[in-house]
Amino acid sequence: MAEEYVVEMKGITKVYPNGIAANQEVDLSVRKGEIHALMGENGAGKSTLMKMLFGLEQPTSGEIWVNGEKVNLTSPTVAISKGIGMVHQHFMLVPSLTVAENMVLGMVPKKSGMFIDSKKAVEITKEYADKFNLHVDPDAKVMDIPVGMKQKVEILKALVRGAKILILDEPTAVLTTQETTELFKELVNLKKQGYTIIFISHKLNEIMQITDRMTILRGGRSMGVYNTQDENPEKISRLMVGRDVVLKVEKDKAQPTDVVLRVRDLEYVNEWGKKMLDHVSLDLRKGEILGIAGVEGNGQKELVDMLFHLNTPNSGTVEVNGENILGITQRKIREKGVSLVPEDRMLYGIADGGTIEENLISDRCGAKHLNHGPLFDMKAIHEESDRLIKDYTVLCKSRAQQVKMLSGGNIQKVVVAREFSNDPKLIIADQPTRGIDVGATEFIRKKLVELSRSGIAVLLVSADLNEVMELSDSLIVMYGGRIAAYFEDTSDLNDEMMGEYMLGLKQQPAEQIGRVCHE
Amino acid sequence: MNKRRSLIFSIVRGLAAILIALAVATLLIYICAEGDTAADKGAQTLSALHQLLVGPAFRSNGALSTKNLCDILAAMIPITFTGLATCVMFSANQFNLGAEGGIMLGAFTSALCAIYLPLPGGILPLVSVLAGAAIVAAMMLIPAVLKTRLGVSEMVCSLMLNYVVMYIIKYLLNSHLADKSKGQIQTYEFQSQSLIPQMVNNGSKLSWGFAIALAFVVLTALFMYRTRWGYAIRMIGINKDFAMYSGIKVGGVIVLSQVLGGMLAGMGGGLEMLGRYNTYSWSALPGYGWTGITVAILAGNNPIFVPLAAFFMAYLDKGCSLMSTYSNVPSQLIDIIQAVIFLFFAAEQFLSHYRQKLVVKSTQEEMKLKEAAASAAEGSAK
Amino acid sequence: MLLKMIFTSDFFFSVLRITAPILLATLAAVIGEKAGVSNIGLEGIMMISALFGSLTAYWSGSWAVGVLVALLFGILVSLMMGFFAFNLKTDIILTGIAVNMIGSGGTLFLVKVITNSTEGKALASTTSLITKSLQIPSWNIPLIKNIPVVGDILSGHCILTYIAFLLVFLTWVLLYRTPLGLNIRSVGENPNAAASVGVSVLKIKYIAIAIGGALSGLGGAFMSMYYAMGWSQDMVAGRGFIALAAQAMGAGEPLGAMLSALVFGFAQALGIKVSATGVDSNLVSPIPYLVTILGLVVFALVVRRRIRRQHSSAALQETASDK
Repeated sequence: MAEEYVVEMKGITKVYPNGIAANQEVDLSVRKGEIHALMGENGAGKSTLMKMLFGLEQPTSGEIWVNGEKVNLTSPTVAISKGIGMVHQHFMLVPSLTVAENMVLGMVPKKSGMFIDSKKAVEITKEYADKFNLHVDPDAKVMDIPVGMKQKVEILKALVRGAKILILDEPTAVLTTQETTELFKELVNLKKQGYTIIFISHKLNEIMQITDRMTILRGGRSMGVYNTQDENPEKISRLMVGRDVVLKVEKDKAQPTDVVLRVRDLEYVNEWGKKMLDHVSLDLRKGEILGIAGVEGNGQKELVDMLFHLNTPNSGTVEVNGENILGITQRKIREKGVSLVPEDRMLYGIADGGTIEENLISDRCGAKHLNHGPLFDMKAIHEESDRLIKDYTVLCKSRAQQVKMLSGGNIQKVVVAREFSNDPKLIIADQPTRGIDVGATEFIRKKLVELSRSGIAVLLVSADLNEVMELSDSLIVMYGGRIAAYFEDTSDLNDEMMGEYMLGLKQQPAEQIGRVCHE
Repeated sequence: MNKRRSLIFSIVRGLAAILIALAVATLLIYICAEGDTAADKGAQTLSALHQLLVGPAFRSNGALSTKNLCDILAAMIPITFTGLATCVMFSANQFNLGAEGGIMLGAFTSALCAIYLPLPGGILPLVSVLAGAAIVAAMMLIPAVLKTRLGVSEMVCSLMLNYVVMYIIKYLLNSHLADKSKGQIQTYEFQSQSLIPQMVNNGSKLSWGFAIALAFVVLTALFMYRTRWGYAIRMIGINKDFAMYSGIKVGGVIVLSQVLGGMLAGMGGGLEMLGRYNTYSWSALPGYGWTGITVAILAGNNPIFVPLAAFFMAYLDKGCSLMSTYSNVPSQLIDIIQAVIFLFFAAEQFLSHYRQKLVVKSTQEEMKLKEAAASAAEGSAK
Repeated sequence: MLLKMIFTSDFFFSVLRITAPILLATLAAVIGEKAGVSNIGLEGIMMISALFGSLTAYWSGSWAVGVLVALLFGILVSLMMGFFAFNLKTDIILTGIAVNMIGSGGTLFLVKVITNSTEGKALASTTSLITKSLQIPSWNIPLIKNIPVVGDILSGHCILTYIAFLLVFLTWVLLYRTPLGLNIRSVGENPNAAASVGVSVLKIKYIAIAIGGALSGLGGAFMSMYYAMGWSQDMVAGRGFIALAAQAMGAGEPLGAMLSALVFGFAQALGIKVSATGVDSNLVSPIPYLVTILGLVVFALVVRRRIRRQHSSAALQETASDK
């Protein structure tokens, strides 16, 4: 029955120019007046799908129907005109303007033709705030209000522009528990007034609380639509977190020896007051690959940032071979034998305006074997670059080629070639194979195993379940800034267990988690 | 897009920018031209253009004038140094505009040494020029350190310093150091052993400073592309975060880039002063710093291309002064030409459609090659 | 003795007079920065406007026409800058430098052409062209002028001076009480947010740079038609650059801009007074520029301390988790 569906996305496929398929033949049907969850792990394709519903992207193929009418959503303006509003993860607010001013931006009420009618703006804000029970302070500057209120403003902004269908993109990612409860009350209220809400999330317990139906995405495909009340968390978890193909990685059993990395009691509260690291302690030993599994946003990024001084914790210690590495310069951290394959290779990993060679030697430009007194020993540098290009099978025209011309996989190989080759004692690999082709992925994984078996300690952070389960020798699962589980031997793991820990349904007892500290 | 196409594109863009500038210049020359009819004015314009484009190197009978050429080479000296200074600083993304005040201070310091230091020939010019370089290098610490420690804009800071330097020199020039016996404001004469010897003896002022300038072009190029500090400067200019993450000391290198820029500008001032003059009389900012920026932009921040760009600017400058002498066109035309070239050359979207076409063409060719290779492989496999 | 020199109404009068052109340029910088546009070319715009304003006044016989033309040229040049910076994507700083080149060399070029003097003749200027009658008129405010001390300080200024200080208030109104001001501030702080509600970021940037150009144009007119009698080479002497510093020191706000501009006006007036006692003017002229550097340092230190004290609020753009 077409009439009961206010949004229908049929057979949506989205393939990016680099060949990656973010969505494949996805169907989504949302009924009027329901709270519909769009769920999945990172990379499942949820936000891509919603970007298309909001006109920020266009599907490669498929149809979108809104209110029984086939639509071509070419821009957000068009989507808004069809009654669709989106509350983004990164708030679209202007910090120094007041709440009321943000509300009416682009549709400012005027008095005497020239001036802002701030009274009217405040009135409008209050009117909508009261109508929807979303309490905001119209005169407060956005930069001064708490995150929860900022989100309410975003919702009100969508509503005042006539949205009847609201897309909320991971709304609780930035909220405290208190604020989350409040948000849910507001959403139920909106639903009562006939609004339709699409709720993107991976937080299972929240979804179970307030949604009517849920569509689960995994690997760009839909795993089906389910009625929330008919399902249990374990079943959902199995649908969300699971591997269609299990990629086995060939490796000998690890023989870990001394502790290289010692993390104790890391605590970190971010600028919004959210606790991102809660008593995190772990040991990483020579010759082992320790994986950090978990849905993104549970503290993994913060942990990695602390290890490379891209951020500093509120308290706690981190030592490499007995020496502190918190708060010191990156040069010193590298001198202690730490290498980082960063999550965002374009931001930190490479200088995109440079050549491959220039990118390969950035961490060793002052090294003795590459310099002859004040000058570079170009022969040595060329030899080293060629060797690295060969050893890491970087597909390129020459070492003098601009690095940005390479494919994603080859760029990552350049990063990896550099980070693995400077005689590291500890390698931190953060999403090392994200967004790259199969060949490069296999190569990098093999290399990580090889290096670990030769005695290097590897910390592998990955949201890719296959990778983190197959590549790691042991792993921890992070949830809510804490370590939820530690598994000394990954060969015993199954997907269901992983899902339950990753989604916060289960937590190991402290003494079991404590086994990750070997000293 | 492959390297050859890239190069062709850059050259085409450069030529287009220059042509547009010349078109603007022609228009302005026409406006200035004397004559009552359009034909008269047209003729005047053509003759002025001839002076601009041909005059600097050739005599009226069409023969190459070595003296004129030497004059141009001599004029290249100061702007080569400010060009190099700007290349170094811009490569680190530091918009330090202090080369202007720097070259003036360097010239002044060298002049003072040349007048008052009791040193023998050979040593005196060396010490004088080095003193000029050192003082300006030290001065650049101010904007550099303020930038790295406090985040103060190096641009505003260096601009202010230009004026401070100018006024202090003016003061000293007017009061204590002036040779009151002379008609115009100038210092005493330099000691004869302080002067840099002339390279050519044909009436032009081409001193050995020119050879030193070329030497420094090579040194700067070596520094930027063959040493770890030049490398660090360039990486910071491309991506500061990447440099930090790779272990490069970003703050220190930023300071280094500005100090080196100061050193080069100061050295240029000293060489210019002792190679061409025998008394110091600059009481205003000489303008070499701004031309240096144009030179750096034309050279794409690459020291190796600086002499070419500097020659080009010096040539045009001479052309403009010839025009002002013979054709009633004020010599400031060079500023307008510079600004126009500048604007178009640095405009990334200028001729972007053309660049798109080249990229598409390249991609198509690459795909054809791939297909050919694939079918060849197939053919041989059968 | 210095103090006695300062505390005369004469002195404060000159402070206000000297501050006016700097203030106009600083307000131009304020509006530009609010929209996220760093206009380095204010110096050049002032020079160009100063020239065309005074010339037109001479040719038309009316100061009002001159001021209007100066204003229009300010807008024209800044729109051209906008084209290069926003459409052709020339780095805005380089665009500004180019405008300054045209402003210093190009103006001299034009003057030489007009006064028919090229090399060999005396330094070209249009000094003789602006007579008292063509100068922007002053206004002796009726009641105020009779108040002792205060009247001497406040009354009798060029009307542009009054307009400059009035513009501080008007700029504030524009930025904080009009829809355009709201758009300008949004575009400057979070262009994505502005674009997401249908505000044209490009259009707003052009408007902001044009308003700045108009204000600088007025500043130029002030210089050549009141401060000095006619245009001369390098007459703006870095005021366009000082304006940038004043904008930074004033925390980017109109009121702050006024206070910073007054600081420079004071420094410069002080310098002139000191040089009148016989000290070489060249020793005194660097003072405003040194004060600028000092001001920037002080401001940077204050900002640093403030950031250290409170937790950063710039985190609006970031969330605790990514997808």
